[in-house]
Amino acid sequence: MRGHGDLRLVAALALLCAALALLIPFTGVAAIFAVPLALLLPGYAIAAAAFAQRQLEWALFFVLGIALSLAILILGSLLLNYVGGIHPLSWAALLVAITFVACLIAARRRGPTDRGPRWPRPRPGALGTILLLGGAVAAIAAIVLSASTVPSGDAIGYTQLWILPQAGTKGHEAQVGVRSQQQASLDYDLRIKIGEDEVVKRSFRLAPGETHVVHVRAPAGSEGVLPVIATLLRHNRPTSVYRRVKGSLVAPQEPR
Amino acid sequence: MARPKPTTGYVAPIALTAGLGLLACSVANALARGGSDPTLLYWAGILVISLPIFWRLTSREASTGERLALVCLLGLSLYIVKVVRDAPLFTFSDELVHAFNADQITNHHHLFRYNPILPVTPNYPGLEGATSALMGLTGMSSYAAGVIVVGAARLSLVIGLFLLFVRVSGSARTAGLAAAIYTGNFNFLFWGAQFSYESLALPLFVVLLMTVAERDAAPREWGRDWALPLVLGIAAIVVTHHLTSYAVAVFLALLAVVYWALRREWSWPNPWRYAVLAAVLAVGWLVLVANSTFGYLGPVIGEAFEAIFNTASGEAPPRGLFQGKGPSVPETPLAARGIALLAVALLAVGVFFGLRRFWRRYRKEPFAIIFAVASITFFGTLVLRLAPAAWETGNRLSEYLFVGLAFIAAISGLHEWRPLQRAWLGRAVFTAALGIILVGGAIAGWPWDLQLSAPIRAKAEGRTISSPPLALAEWAAHNIPEEQRFGAGIADARMLMTPGEHIALAGKTPDIEDILKETELSDWELPLLREEGIRYIVADRREVAADATRGYAFTMRGDEPELLPLSTVTKFGSLPGAKRIYSSGDISVYKLGAPR
Repeated sequence: MRGHGDLRLVAALALLCAALALLIPFTGVAAIFAVPLALLLPGYAIAAAAFAQRQLEWALFFVLGIALSLAILILGSLLLNYVGGIHPLSWAALLVAITFVACLIAARRRGPTDRGPRWPRPRPGALGTILLLGGAVAAIAAIVLSASTVPSGDAIGYTQLWILPQAGTKGHEAQVGVRSQQQASLDYDLRIKIGEDEVVKRSFRLAPGETHVVHVRAPAGSEGVLPVIATLLRHNRPTSVYRRVKGSLVAPQEPR
Repeated sequence: MARPKPTTGYVAPIALTAGLGLLACSVANALARGGSDPTLLYWAGILVISLPIFWRLTSREASTGERLALVCLLGLSLYIVKVVRDAPLFTFSDELVHAFNADQITNHHHLFRYNPILPVTPNYPGLEGATSALMGLTGMSSYAAGVIVVGAARLSLVIGLFLLFVRVSGSARTAGLAAAIYTGNFNFLFWGAQFSYESLALPLFVVLLMTVAERDAAPREWGRDWALPLVLGIAAIVVTHHLTSYAVAVFLALLAVVYWALRREWSWPNPWRYAVLAAVLAVGWLVLVANSTFGYLGPVIGEAFEAIFNTASGEAPPRGLFQGKGPSVPETPLAARGIALLAVALLAVGVFFGLRRFWRRYRKEPFAIIFAVASITFFGTLVLRLAPAAWETGNRLSEYLFVGLAFIAAISGLHEWRPLQRAWLGRAVFTAALGIILVGGAIAGWPWDLQLSAPIRAKAEGRTISSPPLALAEWAAHNIPEEQRFGAGIADARMLMTPGEHIALAGKTPDIEDILKETELSDWELPLLREEGIRYIVADRREVAADATRGYAFTMRGDEPELLPLSTVTKFGSLPGAKRIYSSGDISVYKLGAPR
């Protein structure tokens, strides 16, 4: 690839981007390297290989770079599906390999003269740069705002109540969860019956988005499968059942 | 082709206005999530983005490079309008289906995983396969990766359109205006910008058209150079989306026939070989990999034809324009309807004058001939909007036909109009017309009440609370083993798939819909649930849970939804071994007893 500055740059960038995208543990930073690796460099290299002996307009080259990269991702996933599976490492290896091979073909087909596209070098000036930056900042602010949660006073709040067997206890234990999705902090009363006995009676207050979990287990000396009923009441309405769920517990077998 | 020059012209100030317009749209969406009605601010934001770009595109002075930059700015800005509507979650019905596929690929390392809602989608894994690359390389979510992939596709769409129109018209000014008109297609703002397979396939289709047009204009000795991009493009489209792959085959076949009709030869640059390749690959993929497409598209097309016949014969009443499904869907305001109809009227005027210009100047151009046919066909498809089961088919066709329509309307020369001998006045009128076409298209293509976002998450006492379907999905993701299956209403099932990461069956196949709606259980229902391996059934009293576009948000005070009878939920308690293990008010989850 001697003499073909753009191809050497593309090949080196592909390798660098692949390594950094895989090594950097921060998603946002890794994306800075993964996006050109996935969405530009392979397509650029293929377009360079295909049109090695022609001088394409930069805009045409650019759009082919993106579209061919997308095509490589689509067809590449199909290839990886049958060759070892779709893994981060296999993606990186495939994209780097395609970029390298296409750059080599492009260099060989071009011959000694450089026929890479001539990219424009716009010079917007100081004011133009400030305006462009202003536009970019406004767009970023728009996206940040869209990803932010805002108060929604008219949204009707509610509370979740659930009962599930505790993982890894073979059904001997269960967890009863209460999660508030209310607009304001509320007081609750939670009552849990195992069989005929009310074994839990708890009052607590939950802020919006808070969770309260209670673990229960089959009482000693019990036998068989025991029904569990969890009832949630709101503190200000003690006689009205707010939520009720049902589960079961398996009594542990006593050692003989 | 006019060579793009590195002149920035008015790009910088227009980029600032576009950014401010986006900010206005984002503020409008935030206000809507807060329960306000910022409709005017939202549309003002759209116009602040688009009108300066339209105005500049009508000018004579802008360079080709500046026009290209403006077209990119327009395309990306309007894409971000969709992104800021509901970041950081997918909320369009198809997005949740495709995001599930992408998550499945990333988690299980293979394509063609099962999708319970749209079983045809894993057979066209192009979008999700491409998205899985970014997900795998960075660890980002399907949402973030999907937004980037569709954004890249959008960029290639608008550049491809511009270069295609430059090549066919020979004028960068016409090309810029045609690209601007294209943004008025009914699906540009929302449907075509969602994370769905067509949103990737259509841009590739447009770039393919551009490549064929460039090949046509190139010397014959360049012929082989175009082969690799064309073959890769066709193959990628075939793997990505059924309808677009057929559109490619049909378009290339039509183009080959037109070339032959004009030149009486099949040799260079007639693209018949690529038409054959596209047809063989599309049919091969359909038969060998994606034969479930027959069962998916067959009923849609069959019902569309039946609806057309029934409406035409008077057996069924015509569908009212701007009419949503169900009585609970709010009506589109009269003014908005008027703008949408005015947009269509303006397009008709543009096409009328454009066809005259086409006949005088472009009737020997193969691409222009197909564009002319497409522009006329577009108005034919508008009739489909009057037939209840056919309107969606007509709506979806508009994205493809609009490529031709945009070109024909742009060559009309109406932007040269000089009322009272004042060119600026003509440009102002044309700019306003483009604004109406953009806004009218957005109104015609997407329900009025869904233009702005609804609250799915909200802030309360400094913390985040989630809407009932989202909270259900988050609960399932944290508490229910991945291999356990759910049966649920359409909206709940989609949320259970993404972000819930579970297989959730919904709809009519299998008939979960009737099981959920009935007030009593029938004999066939429990065996069906067991046959499908469903361990958890989600009973949701909200009627809106059956609406795949509206069923995800909080219920708003004063806007309480219609509720199904309580017995539609409690009936599941009578099933042997079934227990209600989750309740959030309107939504309950029953765990079914293990089969004996």
